[in-house]
Amino acid sequence: MGVETADDRCRNDKSACTDKRDMNDFSIIGKPTAMVDAAEKTTGAGKYTDDLSVPGMLVGKILHSPYPHARIKAINTSRAEKLEGVVAVATGKDAPNPYGILPVGHDEYPLALDKVRYVGDNVACVAAVSEAIAEKALELIDVEYELLPAYFDPEESMKAQTDLIHDNKPNNLEKDYHHAFGDPDKGFAEADHIAEARFIANEVTHAAMEPHSTLSSFELDPHTGKLGRLTVWSSTQVPYYLQHKLSLVLEMPMAQIRVIKPLVGGGFGGKSEVIPLEIIAAVAARKAQAPVKITYTREEVFWAHRGRPRTIIDLKTGITNDGRITCVKARVVQDGGAYCSYGVVTILYSGALLGALYDIPNIQYDGYRVLTNKPACGAMRGHGTVNVRFAFESQLDELAAKIAMDPAEIRQRNLLKPPCITVNGLRVQSYGLPECIEKTVERSGWKQRHGKLPKGRGLGIACSHYVSGAANSIIRSDMPHSTVNIKIDRDGGVVVYTGASEIGQGSDTMTAQVAAEVLGCSLARVRVIAADTDLTPIDIGSYSSRVTFMAGNATLRSAEDVKKRIAAAAAKKMNCAAEELVFRDDVVFKKGSAPPPAKRDQAEEVEVTQAGASVSGRVEGQILRGSLQQKRKDEGPKEWMTFEEAVVAAIDFHGALTGTGSYAPPPEARGGKHKGGGVGPSPAYSYSAQVAEVSVDEDTGEVTVHKVWAAHDCGRALNPVSVEGQIIGSVWMGMGQALTEEMIWKDGMLMNAGMLEYRSPSSVESPEVEPIIVESIDPEGPFGAKECSEGSLAATIPAISNAIYDAVGVRMHESPFTPERVLAALRAKRKDKALNLTEGVDPTDPTRFREHGGSLCFKGKGPERHALDPARRESPAVTRGAD
Amino acid sequence: MSLPQFRLLRPRAVDEAVAFLSKHGANIRVLAGGTDLIPSMRQKLFEPGYVLDLRGVAELRGIRPQASGAVEIGALTALSAIEKSQYLRQHFPVLTEATATVASPVLRNMGTLGGNICLDTRCLWYNQSLTWRKGCGFCIKKDGDLCHVAPGGTKCWAAFSGDTPPALLCLNAEIEIAGPTGSRRMPLQEFYTGDGENYRKLLPDELVARVFLPAESADYRGVYRKLRVRGSIDYPLAGVAVVMKRSNGHVSDARIAMTAVNPAPVLIQKAGEMLIGRSVDEALAEAAGDMAARTAKPLTTSALTPEYRREMIRVFTKRAVLAAANN
Amino acid sequence: MKKELVELKINGRTHELAIEPSALLLDVLRQDLGLTGSKRGCDESSCGACTVLVDGVAMMSCTLLAASCQEQEITTVEGVSQHGSLAAIQKAYGDWGGAQCGFCTPGFIMTVKSLMAENPDPSEAEVRAALSSNLCRCTGYSQMYAAIKSAIAAERNAMVEAK
Repeated sequence: MGVETADDRCRNDKSACTDKRDMNDFSIIGKPTAMVDAAEKTTGAGKYTDDLSVPGMLVGKILHSPYPHARIKAINTSRAEKLEGVVAVATGKDAPNPYGILPVGHDEYPLALDKVRYVGDNVACVAAVSEAIAEKALELIDVEYELLPAYFDPEESMKAQTDLIHDNKPNNLEKDYHHAFGDPDKGFAEADHIAEARFIANEVTHAAMEPHSTLSSFELDPHTGKLGRLTVWSSTQVPYYLQHKLSLVLEMPMAQIRVIKPLVGGGFGGKSEVIPLEIIAAVAARKAQAPVKITYTREEVFWAHRGRPRTIIDLKTGITNDGRITCVKARVVQDGGAYCSYGVVTILYSGALLGALYDIPNIQYDGYRVLTNKPACGAMRGHGTVNVRFAFESQLDELAAKIAMDPAEIRQRNLLKPPCITVNGLRVQSYGLPECIEKTVERSGWKQRHGKLPKGRGLGIACSHYVSGAANSIIRSDMPHSTVNIKIDRDGGVVVYTGASEIGQGSDTMTAQVAAEVLGCSLARVRVIAADTDLTPIDIGSYSSRVTFMAGNATLRSAEDVKKRIAAAAAKKMNCAAEELVFRDDVVFKKGSAPPPAKRDQAEEVEVTQAGASVSGRVEGQILRGSLQQKRKDEGPKEWMTFEEAVVAAIDFHGALTGTGSYAPPPEARGGKHKGGGVGPSPAYSYSAQVAEVSVDEDTGEVTVHKVWAAHDCGRALNPVSVEGQIIGSVWMGMGQALTEEMIWKDGMLMNAGMLEYRSPSSVESPEVEPIIVESIDPEGPFGAKECSEGSLAATIPAISNAIYDAVGVRMHESPFTPERVLAALRAKRKDKALNLTEGVDPTDPTRFREHGGSLCFKGKGPERHALDPARRESPAVTRGAD
Repeated sequence: MSLPQFRLLRPRAVDEAVAFLSKHGANIRVLAGGTDLIPSMRQKLFEPGYVLDLRGVAELRGIRPQASGAVEIGALTALSAIEKSQYLRQHFPVLTEATATVASPVLRNMGTLGGNICLDTRCLWYNQSLTWRKGCGFCIKKDGDLCHVAPGGTKCWAAFSGDTPPALLCLNAEIEIAGPTGSRRMPLQEFYTGDGENYRKLLPDELVARVFLPAESADYRGVYRKLRVRGSIDYPLAGVAVVMKRSNGHVSDARIAMTAVNPAPVLIQKAGEMLIGRSVDEALAEAAGDMAARTAKPLTTSALTPEYRREMIRVFTKRAVLAAANN
Repeated sequence: MKKELVELKINGRTHELAIEPSALLLDVLRQDLGLTGSKRGCDESSCGACTVLVDGVAMMSCTLLAASCQEQEITTVEGVSQHGSLAAIQKAYGDWGGAQCGFCTPGFIMTVKSLMAENPDPSEAEVRAALSSNLCRCTGYSQMYAAIKSAIAAERNAMVEAK
């Protein structure tokens, strides 16, 4: 085993970086690059929020509701306040303003005002000198509750007439949408075959390794002498939204609030909105008049949640005999939990992203986002598209089998013909799906092996796509979605100020690469200052896979802006037009002339440095550069200049060297005019095709994923190592949802709120994933790039379920495909002794409420709750589905 | 989640440890590897005034083969040491196999054999934080008076979830218990009560000091099969250990034990006995599996349904018997 | 509870500290000593982000009482890079994408260090098994295997060169 570098492998393996000619045009883009913060992370030197402390800092601990639905009649904090070491106890009254990530969903309070709506809802916060004292104080807070009937199942919840979760939401319906594009009735009439089924995807959560943490600190105002500016360090994907919501809730001007995002230990959407602790910490700090840090326990992370909702999908698809899709009709019910969160967007994405993958002429969509007494669901990797994609791709597989067509071919029969606008108003320009299918089929040996593997082993194929950022921001405005500033000083150092949030996906590295490529300087010159609302221009955050496309474009424009000025000055020195100059590898030279060899360049610099040092006798940059410049001047016009020389020339000419650039999606990419048409449109879509190879143990129902081939069209791979990492990570997370991950509920109690019982896959059962990069070079992406971090997730679940079908002939309709569900399906197919998992309830067609929200893990009687607890509903038909 | 406040006692010898135990009676918990006790204390399942840290008691560590062929294993021996012992692998393979499946490699560096034997019984209604347990109204095993998995019942059904005890039961292991009046030895089989709440017979002033594997149990073929969702970290959802000796193609002796489906690990006498004197085939293995499944009483104490876990006891027993016969 | 004086040997340096008997090693490292490289990712000893070496053996510092570790040599991630340069495994994790968000990375680095010390030429299956104490939500583990392979090769080459 020799030492192979990532770069070598990329060079050896043609597929990793497809277009060699293009790659040669770049010196930084397209090269495997270690993340700019890699050393911080591997040495433990990097600071995440919980690693920070400030003098006088207190520990905040939150009191959570033990009941799923109750009115708060009284809160008495006096016993807690008397405990030695407790500095303040905050309750809802300390900040009675509602907020929420969506303007239409301001339904949360930092701490409950009058009602709690899920087990884990936030009631009070203690700020104390230690964690142990704060925890003890929580026990001393007396809360009097009046219990209310609770709703745990969305289809039951929709029938509610009384005791609504939010008074202004009749039937506990957060939002419903009803869309028809094309002519659905005609579409089904034209179909030769129609499949119709119910699919259920159970609830999953992000479980980022870093538990959320926030540190809030007020400064005393020199003029008023009172609490003034607020600084918040927080594990967030959206520092600017946090700044905005803090301002609303605390009734402070945004200018008085500074949000700083330290390193973030993973987000996946779980930190893409304002999480309760982020506001509670500020409320507590204000009350305690001291800095307060709150870090969630892992259990609290599960309660904060905002994950992917349990989704019930009734799907109907029609095809012709030659495999053309004529119509799709979906009814989608999402169990959204107790607050709106991103819910309205999620339910819209579920419908909108039925489009833009295949050419579907007619689409009917009915989506219901329903409130229940459980933690709020929100945005999670592949937001809105994943569960519906599972259903669709499974059904398409079924239809292919019906007409005896290769499942890969039926997908190829339904490709879009871009550039185009889909029936539901989505503009598609670059479209690498055909190549993705072709490549996965080829690499996996699909044609030779699908349907031909020994019994118990199988291959499945599926496709998916995702937005490269939403074309419309949450808050509708014409504001650019990203702005980036660049400052270059006489030292030749390039400082990029971006609001984009590095959360582990490589945002800072991408920013540095784009800036360095445009400016033709080395990566080492570039320093990225990111996500600090005082220093960096506004960027709406790291979500919906928007950073590379939008912040990347803003960085590119910012770098071009500043480059223009450098080029003008350099051109003067070199007696040519600015347009004739090439910036590359720290050298500026005339187009067509041979760039100086890098070696010579370095030698020259050393020589000059030594000369300068001997002349002045001082080794200071200013003087050195002065003499360097003098030397050049004396020598008359040059064929080339070093980057540093060009910068100095420009500063002498223009003064301070800064540039700015921003990005707003073009109007033509912003979607249709129908109600809800603003969600789904994106300037560009990524594409993925995957083949999964699995084996199924027919006695135990255990599924093993051996390998996944995943081709992803990311436009252009700016950093292949990073792109591959994102593809593998997405596929892996999809596999978790497909096989092991599931939030399990009983009467509103989350049974597995920890990393022990919420089973995120370990290395042992994680398969090999072969990432295949496909580059469609998007006309509007930075260097042609699109997203690569989410689009691959959705295809993995149906690829695995289709592979299970190929292996043992059963169709899985409910995820995750736990061994018991697979075994139950196998037994049903064999008409064997039934494995009695559901007591006659068809998991695909529940007619009775199953108190655990669809999971088969907990059957039997429910808990005998407190005698006084009305949440214990009396009607067995309603509560005891599984008895 | 912080730990409750306690005083830490760090004895150097067994006598000293036992003296501490006698002195503090019910107000003390024994800490070995800590992999179960520490998380449980965070969840306030135990709030002792004293914690007896055995890490410094060197005499309780080590694997000591004896001339007779028997082996003495100190209760404080790390599971990874057992897993890596060539001697045990050669002569008591069922213990090696079972040990290698406990939790994860790092947790096996910390966890001890004694700790795995004494492992508290587990239930999803019990192994939760204090706040969580308040929400469900507590349970019989801790702070409450009702059972959520067998409503109306008065018995605790928390499942014993150690991996090594079924292997040790198959090996007819004995344990030495040290107490204020000296040591006593008992078959491991008699150690467990079958009640999830008071699951073991150990007085507050006693500790498990050593494990003995008798010479007669050496050199059996051995197999352990564990049901879990992930390939690592997870506690067993069902587990089956089988040991077997054969002569002339027939089983001359066999024992089968299971774990994680009852409040105690269970040696299934009849299932082992039915193999003796016969040659193992599919049907016989199947019959042993049926016998084991009938003995299992899984309830909704953990992930996956009880029906499924019972079914897996059947499948895994069959497979383990076949594997033991054929390896 | 009254604090007690303990002596801890961490990354080759001895620290005298007053701590509560119930203090966990992880909290002492992070809060008393400012060694925040070891992370807390769960409360139930299952994620491995806090892994340190105790007398060379990988253990979870969230599950060890600090007072119980006296007289033992503790190595944290801060003790891995020495002589002002990244250890081979740290460099390789960066080059090969072994770290994304980086939160689990210190734990993995410690686990891999103990693997490399114990088994200088592990098979892929052995690497997978050895990593299974630590959870990662970003990478799907794949790029870590490449990093480990490359680090082992780099260390071997360095040894050959040293001879």
